[in-house]
This record gives sequence, C-alpha cells and structure tokens, in this order.
Amino acid sequence: MKVLLVTWVDPWTRNVATIHKWVEAGRTLGHEVVIFGPPNADLPKLTFTTDLANVDIALLVAQLQPDFPDMPYLARFLDGIPRERRMVLDMWARYDETVRVEHDFNHLEKFDGHLGWEWHDAFRAVSSTVLQPTLAPRRPDVQSFLFHGFDAGSVAAPYTSAREAAAAWMQKAYGLMYAGSNWQRWDQVRSVLQAHAPLCAKLGPACLIGWDWRTRPEWAVKNGIMGIDTDPDLLARLQVEVRDGVRFDAIVDLLGQARFAPVLHRPLFRHLGFVTNRTFESFYADTIPVLMLPRDFVSSIYGAAALRLVPGDDLAAHLIEVMRAPEPYWEAVIQTRAHLAEHHSYARRFEQLGKLAAVHSARGAVR
Amino acid sequence: MRILFVMKHRGNAGSTHAVANYMRIAPKYGHSVSIYGNPISYVPELQFSMDIRSFDRVVYVYESELYRIKRMQDAVLLDRFARRHRLIVDTDGMYNPLIHIDGYDFNHRNEQERAQWIDYIEALGDTIVQTTLEPPPNPKAGCLEFFGYNPTLELDPASVPPKVYDVLHVGHNWWRWREVSTELLPAIEQIREQIGRIGFVGLWWDAPPPEGSAAGPEEAFQSDPDELRRLRIETPRAVMYHDVIRTMSSARINIFTQRPVLRHLRLLTLKYFEIFCADTIPLLMLDHEHAEAIYGRAGRELVLTGNVAGKIVDALHRPDYYLEVVGTVRRHLASHYSYNRRVEELIAAVGN
Repeated sequence: MKVLLVTWVDPWTRNVATIHKWVEAGRTLGHEVVIFGPPNADLPKLTFTTDLANVDIALLVAQLQPDFPDMPYLARFLDGIPRERRMVLDMWARYDETVRVEHDFNHLEKFDGHLGWEWHDAFRAVSSTVLQPTLAPRRPDVQSFLFHGFDAGSVAAPYTSAREAAAAWMQKAYGLMYAGSNWQRWDQVRSVLQAHAPLCAKLGPACLIGWDWRTRPEWAVKNGIMGIDTDPDLLARLQVEVRDGVRFDAIVDLLGQARFAPVLHRPLFRHLGFVTNRTFESFYADTIPVLMLPRDFVSSIYGAAALRLVPGDDLAAHLIEVMRAPEPYWEAVIQTRAHLAEHHSYARRFEQLGKLAAVHSARGAVR
Repeated sequence: MRILFVMKHRGNAGSTHAVANYMRIAPKYGHSVSIYGNPISYVPELQFSMDIRSFDRVVYVYESELYRIKRMQDAVLLDRFARRHRLIVDTDGMYNPLIHIDGYDFNHRNEQERAQWIDYIEALGDTIVQTTLEPPPNPKAGCLEFFGYNPTLELDPASVPPKVYDVLHVGHNWWRWREVSTELLPAIEQIREQIGRIGFVGLWWDAPPPEGSAAGPEEAFQSDPDELRRLRIETPRAVMYHDVIRTMSSARINIFTQRPVLRHLRLLTLKYFEIFCADTIPLLMLDHEHAEAIYGRAGRELVLTGNVAGKIVDALHRPDYYLEVVGTVRRHLASHYSYNRRVEELIAAVGN
C-alpha cells in the first residue's frame, strides 16, 4: 500500500526517527511510505512528494499546528485525498478534553494560540477517525494506534548473551545519559541526576543532551509557560555535562556511550499512557534503559521481563545493584528487545494501520 | 444562503465597506453575509462569525497580498466548502500575467512571485473572478463587478457640515505618487492661488509605513512631504470606512485616482462608487471611455485627465452645472450598479 504521512518533519525533534523507520520498513515489506510536501535536503532518506495519486492511506500525524500543511498544500491534501482515506494520528492528546498534569497540558494556548475546540474541529475536518498512541484512549471515539515501533535490525549491539553484553557494558565513557529536550520533564530529570550524583565516581559522569537545559528559555519566560524549568547551578554542582540537542540519527550511538539511559515520559503522556519514539528507541542503544515509568505501562508495552528495569522508589539502589550484578538486567534487556520485536515491529504497525484504514474506509466519508 | 467572506478586514481600507453593503442587502433576498473572524468593537455593524459549519458558501477576497488565516481553521473551511462552493474574488488583478506599468507599478514583482500566487489561488478553488466589466487578460478568470452603488448612502446637502476644503483626495498613498506628482501637483501649482484648502486624506502621504518593507514595495509609498507642504496641501489622518463619504462631503471637489495597474486592468474599486455618494463634485483621473463605461455618458464630463487645472477651476466656478452632471451619474449608478444587483450576481457566482 501507499502511505502518505502528512506532518512537519524536523531532523532534530519529535517523530523524525519513527518516520524513517516507517519508510525503511515499508521498503522491506513492499509498501511505499512518502511524506507530503516539498523536498527537504536535511532528510535525504525520506521521499517527499506532492503527488497524491494512488495514495491508499493518508495519515496526518499531529502534534503541533505546523503539522497541518500550509497553503497551498493544505487545499491540495484535503481536496486531493478522499475523506475515507484520511486519518488523524493525535500524538499529543489534542483531541481530548483539556487535561492538566502538573504544569503539562494537552492544549497549549499560551504556546500555540489554539484552544481545545480548534484542535477538535480541525481533526474532524480531516477525518472522522482519530487515533492516539496509547493502548487505552480516553475518548470512546478515538482508537489505539501506537505508531512508534521497534525495529530489531536497529539494535546497535544485538547481543544474544547477557554475559557478553554485561562484559562489554563495563567499558563506557558515561555513567548515565539522558537525551531529550526540556519540556515538562525537569522534576524527573532532576531526581535522576540527584540519585546518580553520589555514584558518579563509580558509574561514570552524567550527560544531559537536549535543548533548553542550560537556562529556562526566554520563550517560556515571556509566555509564562510553567514546567520548562532547569537549575544551572544544580547541574554544575552535580557535574552534569550538558549538551545541546542532536540530530535524530545521532541519538542511539550517543546513548550507547553510557551505562544507563533513563526513559522518562512527560507528565501528560505518563498520565495518558502515550508512547513516544524514545519508548522504543532506547532499546536500540547499547545501554541499560532505566524505565522511569508506571509498572503497568511497562508490562503492557515492554512485557514482564522489563519490570526488572523499573527502579522502584530508590533509583540509587537500583543503579548500584545493576552495577554489582549486571547480567540479570542485560537478560531483561535482551528479553525485552525480543518482546518488542515480536509485538511492536513495524510489520505489525503496517498490519494495524491497514486494518484501521479498512474499517475507516468501510464507514465511508462520514463526518 | 449563508455566505461567509474570508478577507482582510480593515476599517480604513480594502473591501470592507462593500461587504458591509452585502450584509445590509442580502437579507432582503433571503440570504445572509458575515466575515470570518471575531467581532471588532469599533465597527459593531459588521457581522462576524467563526461558526464555519453554519454557512453554505465561502467567498475569499484577496487584494495584493494573500491574506491567511490559521491553517487549522483553514482546514475546517476547506472541509466545509467543496471547491465548487468556493468563490475567489481577486480585486487587485493578481490572477493575471505579469504586468509592469512604465517601470513603476506591477501586479507581481517577478514570475516567481506570480507563480506562487497562482499556485495558491488555484489550489484553493476553480472559480476566480476579477472586479471588472471586461474580460480579464487571464482567460481562466471571470468577471464580477462586486463593488456597487448604495444610493441610501447619498448625503443630503442640507445635513452635511459646511465645506472646509475646496479640493480633497481621499485614498492612501499606495502606488499613486507618480500620477499625483506628475499630473495633479503641477496642475495644482498652476492654480494654487485660486483654490482654498486642499487635503490628501489617507495613510502614507507624510511618511512610509513604519513596518518598512514588510508593508510592501518601497516605491509604492514614495512621497514628497516637503512638496505637499510647499503647495499647502494638508494631510489629515485616514478615516474609517463609514466616515469616508462624510469626509468627502467636506470638500467642494473630490479627486479620484487609481493605482496604475488597477487602472490599466480597468478594475473596479469601492471608491468608484463611494465618491458619488458624497455631497461633492467628483473629478476623475480616468480615461474618457472607461469613465463612460462605468458612469454613463455624463461621466465623461467629470474626467480630469488632460485638463486637470482647467477642470478644477471650472468645477469650482460652476458648481451647479457639475452637480447636475453628478446627479445624472448617480441615477445611472443607482440603476446599473445597485447592491440589489450585486447580491444577485454574487449568489449566482457562488453557485446555487
């Protein structure tokens, strides 16, 4: 099938890594995955097109307002693809009633100037089928589609033996590395770094990669957006190496330079059970993911073996224990990778998308 | 039929006043008209709406820039109105080949800009009209006069304030300087001692817009405030659309000019009609044939072109004669350009 992804692709952030996986997997599986819009020289592995002929499924992948194409592309998209072939993937729960978790919101009026009803109306304009990347959407008229997936071929060091993995793992430049921009995650990041700091000499230094960790950004101050916090003095005291954001294709190798890679979800996603690219991507890296996520979420997405990678209340104790006896944890990583490969492969995602599209198409162009 | 206009709405420029007339007349025929957006406090009589789904047809009005709304709202519009129910009104002749007038005014700066504009418009819809009586150069564009004459806006001479100006020009300094500086000002200089107060009402006569190139090409705002001062030409501030006719009525004579590219394309604007609602003598910087085509034979008598100084002096000396001519033109406009007609034409253009 020919899948048209309609979204703003940025080499530095959001869904770009997953979109590359869709394109690669599509090629392997005999599908064509193209991105709507003019060519983007920064992303040579993606095929951008404005040719809407023979598109079987058009998926608007929506996080921010620019994920809706600008004119004239918007008119071409909506006039050129029949409604029964269009679906919306709501990546930030925009379609839901307003939800606030700590300082995190799904409707960021101060940030993008759009109220909740505008998202609702705009989605309904595109399609009557709205999907969300969670196993349990809150609204009855939203269906589950995780979109992000796991590509077993992307595992940087695909060990089959925990002993072998653990032996190699002892030689790492960093103790802990987190890659992700400063968006509603400071409290979680701070807790991780504070737990790690006393262990720095034993584990190796911590590294924080992403935008806006050095100072609270001016745009957040100006717009009064809470939750985009940081503490440069604390980061200095904890001797955390802070780097700016990196391109999507550098992440896996970078995480592989550290013993531990925490997986954190912003409060809203944690609350709604949303998955992200990093949910899966962290298991490509040659590192032990630290799943700072609810246990029921971990078992439902990663499988039972992954529960060993959940630190519980005492992160420092967890890190010490992994250092003391890494093999069981590497065994958990290897089993989790196998679980992800079986249950969350892109082949599965194509099947799921195809089924959702068939149901949607059968309903016709309902509004 | 409920018609939604998507347009840049400004109280002191553009097509807002025309749409206000559609709002007023449409209910007589069982229709209604609103502008997309939130109400504006200083023009409470204008009806706005963002309830897109309550409308049946959409009319996009574009002047020289592509007015854009937020793309998520655009999505709702595009979904609500099928292509055949979208009408695009091109008031500035943009949907045409590249036109440059005497190395000065132009519809597009170059082919690339033109191509982008055309691309945008053609993506939006198939029915594109220009505000002219004659077939546009672009054979894919249709004609819709769009602007009309509302005789109820004619001001009763008994109710207007006393004349404070002899000559007024009401309009922004947007591609007008060449005509003003080469034809109007030299003529005014010849007869300056025979005329009382002169005013150029509008934006950018004193200075270009503060936003600089973002407002448009630099040459469009060219002016010479020193020269205006030397000729004792006042430059009062711009007025809101509902004060235009009353402001015009504060002068014995009002001079009508039109930016060159619009004049070349013979595009109608609101000013063609507003000026005849005022209690004044309109004098027209138009070709005789074009004036006759719009205003009837009497319109020729009001043409300034080729005899600016003589005509102004003559009109000041023989107001009764000229006001009679104005009366004839008004009757012609009322019979040929009423908004009753315009509404019928609009309904036909947006499709039943």
